Amino acid sequence: MSVASVLGDRYAERDSAVHRADARVKLPAALLYILAIACVPEGAWTALALLAAPIAVVAAAARLGPLFILRRTFLALPFVAVAVPLIFTRPGTVAFEVPVLGWHGTHEGLTAVATILARSWLSVTVAVLLTASTPIVETLRALRVLGTPRLLVGTVFFTYRYFDVIGSEAVRMIRARDSRSAALPGRHAGGRVWWRATVVGHMVGSLFARSLDRSERVYAAMQARGFTGELRFLSTPAVRGVEVAVAAAFVLAGFAVVLGDRLA
Amino acid sequence: MMSIGSMALAPLGLGPVGPAMHIPDGYMSVPVAIAGWVVTVGVVAYAARRAEREISDRAVPLMGVMAAFIFATQMMNFPVAGGTSGHLLGGALAAILLGPWAAVIVMAAVVGLQALMFQDGGLVVMGLNIANMGILTIFAGYFVYRFLAGVIPGRVGALAASFVAAWASVVIGSAVVAVELALSGASPLGVALPAMIGVHALIGVGEGLITLAAVSFIRATNPGLVPTPGLAPAGLNGAAR
Repeated sequence: MSVASVLGDRYAERDSAVHRADARVKLPAALLYILAIACVPEGAWTALALLAAPIAVVAAAARLGPLFILRRTFLALPFVAVAVPLIFTRPGTVAFEVPVLGWHGTHEGLTAVATILARSWLSVTVAVLLTASTPIVETLRALRVLGTPRLLVGTVFFTYRYFDVIGSEAVRMIRARDSRSAALPGRHAGGRVWWRATVVGHMVGSLFARSLDRSERVYAAMQARGFTGELRFLSTPAVRGVEVAVAAAFVLAGFAVVLGDRLA
Repeated sequence: MMSIGSMALAPLGLGPVGPAMHIPDGYMSVPVAIAGWVVTVGVVAYAARRAEREISDRAVPLMGVMAAFIFATQMMNFPVAGGTSGHLLGGALAAILLGPWAAVIVMAAVVGLQALMFQDGGLVVMGLNIANMGILTIFAGYFVYRFLAGVIPGRVGALAASFVAAWASVVIGSAVVAVELALSGASPLGVALPAMIGVHALIGVGEGLITLAAVSFIRATNPGLVPTPGLAPAGLNGAAR
């Protein structure tokens, strides 16, 4: 059970044009396309269907397989719970009634929730395609090129690098706690809730001290290697014009659908 | 926010998967999402400049490892009741231990990485998510802590203040998310606001207890690390260690 296996496998290596495309092109294109999806009004089913088409093309080109993509997109769907009350609170024509409670669901409410779910699912699919086809290092390089503060990009790099180290430390502490916390089946063990929270709090405090020590050793090692505060990348190849053209066509198609829906 | 990292960590069997405060794409109206970016870009740029000036080139390894620490603490859950479990979210703790500006960078890194790698939170709404979880909860926690620790002196004051600060940061954060959802027409305010506040008033107790115990532990074992108001505790600049 390695922490790295969780963090490391988000990039799914395939031999495809989508994978080869530059992150400096893919990241802005994905962001703008999701922005286009966010502009779709409630109940605009044609627009949503048309917006799904370019995503399906990219998904097929990325050769990730529909099951792989579906599995990852489902992780983001439970959030819909916050929108579900709209079914009953949005005024409109009554579509159904909940038997015992006497709540009235409306057509307008159902439309609103279905639209939110569709927009959310399409957006998550775009994000999954970006994550699965782009190594995180390339994404961070793109963020730096797009003007994210150097300090923040550097911090995210180190978070990615050291999560495995600190996370493994945390896993060892959790294992140690569980080893000490023997319990008979069906019997209550381990004190009250506040006591358990205190144990976790002490583990957190201990992990903080260890992390601080670690960061000082890391800094000393970096200084020994000549770190001056600047992040360096081995090479920065030029962005290819073809990729920019394809990405622009992808984004323009998205906004054309939104504009067409507004005008129609 | 209830599950920063829980999706990332669920495959490990360590994190609970619950309703999240990480808003996905598709819920927020475009103006609300853009307002979130405006706040985030401004505050993060200012925080980055301050951190670079005050802790110089040490800042990157320090804050990166601290963000990994916040990420990892979210794995440390404890059983509450009926198969549910509580775990730390970390905004107030980061603010108390690191000061608000460094904590903003640390939480922005955590929230950003969760969205980019795990789709835990959307991309267009990432600005809003960072504003909620990386800025609002930190300053709410920080000011409550500063105020209470100033009013009640000594150890008791610091510990009581860390409990209340952590509880308040979670509740305020959840209330603002409910308001933002209502502004975007994605959730009715009359239902969402009491529900979010009610649930998070309970979650906040766990957050408060863990934060209190962590601050108490660090005060006892590493005095000098907690918590000089300002950007970084003395120990982070090598003065106390």
